[in-house]
Amino acid sequence: MTGSPPRGRRYVVLLLLLCGFGIILFRLVTLQVLQAAELTAKADRQHQKSVTLEGARGTVTDRHGKVLAMNMEVPSVFGVPASLDSPARVARSLSPVLRVRRDEIEKKLRQDKHFVWLARKVEPEQGRRLEQLSLDGIGMVMEGRRYYPKGPLLAHVLGFVGMDGQGLEGLERRYEPQLHGEKRVTILQRDALGRTVFPKGLKEQVPSAGHALTLTVDEVIQYIAEKELEEAVSQARAKAGTIIVMEPQTGAILAMAVSPRFDPNAVAALTPDRWRNRALTDTYEPGSTMKVVVAAAALEEKVMMPGSMVFGENGRMTIANTTIHDHEKLGWMTFAQMIQKSSNIGAAKTGMLLGEQRLYRYLQAFGFGQRTEIDLPGEVSGLLKTPREWGRRSVASISMGQEIGVTPLQMVSALAAIANDGVLMKPYVVSEVRDQKGQPFKEVLPQVKRRVVSPETARTMTTILEGVVTNGTGTKAAIPGFRVAGKTGTAQKIDPRTGAYSATQFVGSFVGFVPAEAPRLAMIVIIDEPQGEAWGGTVAAPVFRRVGEQVLTYLGVSREDQVKIAMAARE
Amino acid sequence: MKTAMIAAGLFLVFVFVWERVDVVRLGYHIERLKAQKVLLERERDQLQVKFSALTAPERIAKVATDKLGMIPPQQGQVFMVRLPQEQPVPAPPALSTEQVRIARNTSIGRVGE
Repeated sequence: MTGSPPRGRRYVVLLLLLCGFGIILFRLVTLQVLQAAELTAKADRQHQKSVTLEGARGTVTDRHGKVLAMNMEVPSVFGVPASLDSPARVARSLSPVLRVRRDEIEKKLRQDKHFVWLARKVEPEQGRRLEQLSLDGIGMVMEGRRYYPKGPLLAHVLGFVGMDGQGLEGLERRYEPQLHGEKRVTILQRDALGRTVFPKGLKEQVPSAGHALTLTVDEVIQYIAEKELEEAVSQARAKAGTIIVMEPQTGAILAMAVSPRFDPNAVAALTPDRWRNRALTDTYEPGSTMKVVVAAAALEEKVMMPGSMVFGENGRMTIANTTIHDHEKLGWMTFAQMIQKSSNIGAAKTGMLLGEQRLYRYLQAFGFGQRTEIDLPGEVSGLLKTPREWGRRSVASISMGQEIGVTPLQMVSALAAIANDGVLMKPYVVSEVRDQKGQPFKEVLPQVKRRVVSPETARTMTTILEGVVTNGTGTKAAIPGFRVAGKTGTAQKIDPRTGAYSATQFVGSFVGFVPAEAPRLAMIVIIDEPQGEAWGGTVAAPVFRRVGEQVLTYLGVSREDQVKIAMAARE
Repeated sequence: MKTAMIAAGLFLVFVFVWERVDVVRLGYHIERLKAQKVLLERERDQLQVKFSALTAPERIAKVATDKLGMIPPQQGQVFMVRLPQEQPVPAPPALSTEQVRIARNTSIGRVGE
C-alpha cells in the first residue's frame, strides 16, 4: 500500500514538532532574556575573582634613613570548619605551630561557621611550617604586619597600629592619612582550574603604597638618651622620666625619650599609661626652671640688670600670709647670683617688679598655656590661668614655678628660644614625606613662632645660665671642654589625696643648652618622683652631662671647634 | 588559484588561533613572574626588617661591650680631627694607650695627627 499518510497523522507530527520548537524557544527566552542578568552574574562569579588589594603602609625612617617602622607581608591562618573531618586531630597538629592552646583551636574549629580566623599575622617561619603540614580545611592569606625592628627605641613617638593596620598612637596615628596604603578592588579572570589568567584590561592594577616619613630624630642620639634615662630612673628608683633633645635653631627634635619604655611590637597587654608620650601629654609644676623665663622677661623689660642687687631676706619672706623659703639663707646678691643660687625669694621679687600683666604676657610669648603644635597627637596646652583668676600670691608662686602647669616640650622649647637668640621655634619630628616612588611629597621647613626677647637679652641670659653650671646649682651638668648653660629645677608635686604640696614626691629637672656660645643642643631632663635625694641638680643634671657629652662627640662637636670659634671671634 | 586562496585562508586562521593561544600562554607566564616578584619582595622586606633589627644601636652596643669587651671612650680619649682635603696627611704618630682618635666627615677631613 502506497500513498501519503493520512492527513490526521501529519498534523500530529507537525504539532509535535511545533511543541518541541516551542519548548526550545520558551527555554531560550527564559535563559537569554528572563534570567539573563542572574546567569551572567553567576558565570562571572565562576570565572572572575574580585580581590581587595591594599598597598603597603609607608615606612618611617630616622634622619639618616635608618628604618624605624615598616610593613611586611605575613601569613594569617584560617579554618573552614565545614570541610574538616576531625577538628581534634587538626587542632593537635596546629597547636605547636601557632603556639595557641589545642582546646582553643578545637573550639573555633567546631563552630558552625564557614570561616574562622585561627591566628592573625603570624611569623613567616610559622607559615612555612604550616605549609609543610598541608592540612585540609586550613588555609593562609597574606596580610601586612607592622614591624618596629628597633624594639622599644622611640616607641612613644612612633606609636603603633591596630590589628587591621590603622594607626592608633603616636606618628602612626597623626600621619595615618599619609601612611596608609591605597585600597583597590581588582577583578581577575580565572580559568577552569581556578588559576588567574589575566587581569582585566591588561594594565597593572597594583594599589600604591603609603607615603614614607623621614624624621628629624637621630636613632643614635635617641638611643643615648633612652639608655641614660633608663639608668637614671632605675638608680633614683623614680616613677618615670623624660628627655627631649632639640636643635635650637630649627626646633627639630633629635630625641624624645620616655621612661618606662614599651615595645610597640607587643602592645596588646599594655595599658595607655605605658604608651602615653609624657613629653607632651603630662604637665608638671616646673619649679625653678621657670625662673629662666621670669629673669629673661625682667632683663628685656629692664626692671633688672645682671648686676642689680637683690636682698634674699635671709631665706624667709611672707607674701599674702604665706611664707616663702629659700634652700639657704641668702642676703644681698646680684640678679645673676640670684638665678645661679636659684633663690625663690629673689624670683618672687622679680615677678612682682614685672607685675601681673607683663609676667603673663611673657609666659604666653614663651609658649606656656598653649600647645607647641608639634606634629604628634595628644599634646596638652598645660595650665596657665589668666591674671583675672590669679590670687594675691600668684605672681610670686608663678615666678618660682608653682601654680603653673607646663609640659616638658614647652619648657625645652622656651629654653631653646634663649639659645636661639630669643626666637621661639615650632618643634617638629617629621622633616619629609615621600611618595611611594621615593620622590619628595612634602618637605617640612623650620618654622619661626615669634621673637620672645631681644638677642642682647638672650645673650645676657646665656651668660647668667652658664654661671648656674659653673658656680650655681647645676655644677653636675658641666661637660668638660664645653660651655654649658642651664637651670636646675626641683618641684614638689601636689598630693592628689590632700590637694597640698607633698613632702615626699618631687620632680627633679635640668634644662639647658650646649655649647653656650654656639648651641647645637637644647635638652631637658626630668626625673619624676625620685626616691632619696630629689634635687634637680643631683638627679637630672648628671644625666644632662652624660647625654650631652656623648651626643656632642657623636655629632663631631669638638673642643677643637671651640678653640676655632674663639679664635674666629677674636679675629 | 582557488587552492592557494584556501591555503592562505587556512594559514590566517592558524595564525589567529596560534596568536590567541600564545596570548593565554604569555598570560600564565606573566602571572608566574608576578607571583615570583611578590615572593622576592616579601623576602626583601624580611631581610630589611632583619637588617634593621641587627643594626639597632642598642644591639650593637650590647655586642660591643658584652662580646667584644669594648668600652665607651672616656673623657679626654676622643679628639676630633679635621683637615682641609688638599693638605697632605702627615703620618700618624704612635698613640698612647689611653687615647683614641676619631675623624668624622671624611669628605672634608681624614684621619690625621
